[in-house]
Amino acid sequence: MVDLETIRKKAKEIVSREDVKHLIGWRKGTFGYRVTPYWVEAPEDAEELVYSPLCNTNLATYLTLAEKLPLPKGQEPDRRKTALLVRGCDSRAVVQLLTERGVDREQVVLLGLPCRGVVDLRKLKDSYPEDNEVADAEWKEDKIVLNVSGEKKEIPREEVLDDHCLVCRYPNPVEADETLGEKVEPWAEESHPGVEELENASFDKRWDFWEKEFERCIRCYACRNACPMCYCEDCILDRLNPTWIYRSNNYSENTAFHIARAFHLVGRCVSCGACERVCPAGIPLGKINQKLVKEVREKYEFEPGTDPEGVPFQASYNPQDQEDFIL
Amino acid sequence: MSEKVLQKANWSSFVQALADARELWFPVKDGPIYKFAPYSGDVDAGLEEYAYSSVPPKAVVLPQTETMFLYQVGDKEISLPEEKKEKVVLGARPCDARAMDIVDRVFQWDEDDPYYLENRNKTAVIGLACNEPFVNCFCTSLDGSPGSTQGLDVLMVDLGDKYYLRSVTDKGSRILGDAESALEDASGEGSQAEEIIKEAEGKIKRSIDTEGIREKLEEGWEAPLWDEVSRACLGCGACTFLCPTCHCFDIQDEVEGFDGRRCRMWDSCMFGEYTLHTSGHNPRPSRKERTRNRISHKYRYYVEKFDKIACVGCGRCITSCPVNIDILDILSRVKEEL
Amino acid sequence: MSNKENPYIPHMAKVEDTWYETHGERAIKTFRVVFEDEEVKESWEHLPGQCAMIGVLGVGESMISISSSPTEGKFLRFSVMRMGKVTQALHQLEPGDSMTVRGPYGNNFPLEEWKGKKILTIGGGIGQAPLRPIVEYVRANINDYQDLTVIYGARTTNDLCFKQELEDLRECQEVSSCHLSIDIEEEGWSHFVGFVPTLLMEVNPSPENTIAITCGPPIMIKFVLENLKKLGFEDEQIYTTLENRMKCGIGKCGRCNAGPLYVCKDGPVFNYATLKQVPEAFA
Repeated sequence: MVDLETIRKKAKEIVSREDVKHLIGWRKGTFGYRVTPYWVEAPEDAEELVYSPLCNTNLATYLTLAEKLPLPKGQEPDRRKTALLVRGCDSRAVVQLLTERGVDREQVVLLGLPCRGVVDLRKLKDSYPEDNEVADAEWKEDKIVLNVSGEKKEIPREEVLDDHCLVCRYPNPVEADETLGEKVEPWAEESHPGVEELENASFDKRWDFWEKEFERCIRCYACRNACPMCYCEDCILDRLNPTWIYRSNNYSENTAFHIARAFHLVGRCVSCGACERVCPAGIPLGKINQKLVKEVREKYEFEPGTDPEGVPFQASYNPQDQEDFIL
Repeated sequence: MSEKVLQKANWSSFVQALADARELWFPVKDGPIYKFAPYSGDVDAGLEEYAYSSVPPKAVVLPQTETMFLYQVGDKEISLPEEKKEKVVLGARPCDARAMDIVDRVFQWDEDDPYYLENRNKTAVIGLACNEPFVNCFCTSLDGSPGSTQGLDVLMVDLGDKYYLRSVTDKGSRILGDAESALEDASGEGSQAEEIIKEAEGKIKRSIDTEGIREKLEEGWEAPLWDEVSRACLGCGACTFLCPTCHCFDIQDEVEGFDGRRCRMWDSCMFGEYTLHTSGHNPRPSRKERTRNRISHKYRYYVEKFDKIACVGCGRCITSCPVNIDILDILSRVKEEL
Repeated sequence: MSNKENPYIPHMAKVEDTWYETHGERAIKTFRVVFEDEEVKESWEHLPGQCAMIGVLGVGESMISISSSPTEGKFLRFSVMRMGKVTQALHQLEPGDSMTVRGPYGNNFPLEEWKGKKILTIGGGIGQAPLRPIVEYVRANINDYQDLTVIYGARTTNDLCFKQELEDLRECQEVSSCHLSIDIEEEGWSHFVGFVPTLLMEVNPSPENTIAITCGPPIMIKFVLENLKKLGFEDEQIYTTLENRMKCGIGKCGRCNAGPLYVCKDGPVFNYATLKQVPEAFA
């Protein structure tokens, strides 16, 4: 695929450019299986970069997360570019942002990396509990190799990979200035894990399922904030005037929150799974988004974040669009 | 003080006796996480599997959402919510009880907070000592211990086939009295429990020397460190909502039809909206200031007011952070770099 | 009087009179309210500088400074700028309607300590609201103070609060001087044209035995502070007020802190010498 030295070398090269402010990648975390997003400012910082199945944040979210603060009088804005390590899903997020004009292509440098999927820490921790020791992991064919305190454990990737990654059809970047390493052969047919099962369940069963899930939500908004597509400066969840969703934590308001978020992701969600991975309450948010991804695919043959020249789903109209579901 | 022993075989009758006397709150598994919930009659749900609750038991005394008063829109009459019930929390970790002691001071300081204090005064806490500390525990750095009794009414220690229980307060003795039929008198189990706690203490791997942090936080206000440690922050509320000492809240009026209520709900200093003025001005405009405030509140502001650090070393903020922002990492950098 | 058993339960206060100080999108409306409960009305005590949580049931509450002095009578005055959800709802209130009031909150201007001194207030825009009770209080106890000087300005004549009162002040003998300004020239305006900090330099008050209190937009305060220093004022002679978002008013809910200071408890009135130590106070 791609070795770390190649990535570090290229990262050094990129941050040495005058027109680049920094490169966002990952570095080792402080314990267990954690890695943390990392800003490479100077060439020597690149030595700390890591790239492994543990890199589970979608870095595209940082393109829109930085606060735009007023500059002190007389200070010129820093117009240098932000470089980003992107895998298939990260690049799809960037592409979606490009089509929405959320990000200016001229302002980003995309360093593409092939990816064989990231681990879902929840799956990993059940059988391989986290320790203080900072662990390493790597892809090895169809396995994930965990390296904890020098001891290597080979795990079939089906056991620990994030559900989204198991069915990923975009393991290679769809947009990048340069992609390192060898392309990865896609391994999955199109499918939407967990969706069919719910679709086949009765209305009452589905209701009960989501009631139980949403009741557990603590409204920390980690899902929203980790999502590269949630970048509204004035989110309706924060709004008080008017108040669309009450701040009380109960099933009803929590459900309204999740429905509102899901609706705003229709035709925009790039199936990276970041929302579900960051949820401290373990709500299977991917199932909601995947259902909508599936609907948009089936009804409009649209797949967000795959065409940098494309038009956003909600901004496109085709007289031949299906209407059979409109009441 | 009374010392008792509970044979695990008698677990069901113990739990039932507690539930008969008071509203019993218990760590229950909800999806992949544990949280405290009113006991539902499922006595098989023992504490064997339970490690710690993702949502701390502060939620029992400071519920995430709490009605302050009710009214009819257009009317002037205000009515108070129902009186709270006597509660017992079973299985709180000692750090979480110490956290309640920290929150108590805020709600008793200057003016009393009637909602919190009613809840707190009506709640007894049976703590469960930690035989096996968790990966990010550092309670021993903050005068805590896996067997600390501060904030507890009863301390319970797992001895394998039985639990050792010791009441710490009069309330605790009364609680044990309620469940007397399920308990036996202790005979020497106390020292066994002490040994287990001591052993557990030795297993805690993470630590911080808190000496001098308060002063450094004051001196290093503008340090570049704050930019660096807050950069990856997503600005979510996981660290604060799940923190057992975080107690900040929002107050909102919520109306359905003509039924109105004023309620309060957990709020987080990590949210931009928390300090946003209506004018659009925000005194803490970015994640940098918010991160600095979160750390400073715990390790400086609270200390200046109550002479105590508002952190118990439970490690939840570390474990639950989606991007591995680690308070111990920040604190050690504060010590080294500021 | 704060509700002893439950400080979160507000009292009902009847709006006796209202009028607009300024107009437009961000209009400022003044309310004169009286507690409906006789006992509350009699026992309520506040001092200049203190605030109250006022609001409308079903909408919410906002922390607003009490712009009347206790020396004026058994009523409270609030001047409210229409900004957000709560202030919009407050602006709907007309005489006869009720609002909720709880408090008083925060500390006050140390007017007892200031006895025998010259009092100088420097206000801008809605910032005159917390200064007005000082003016009224000193006027009512004028023999206790050596002098009272009022400096006040706004962007245009339409943005001036308490216009008539301030004009009347100029005629009033116990106030040795009242200086008004607007930022931009307007027909019929006979007073100063320019920014408040500039007017302050024009007035050129002596720092000798003087206490200066300033309140207004942050940018005005910044330059007023600079100019007061130029005039020779010591930090300890300068006071200002802070405002931050508040919910509880009693030091529990967290958000109003500026560094270690809780604006609701340690403030809103601060001595400049204290504030200088707190970088977040000027954020």
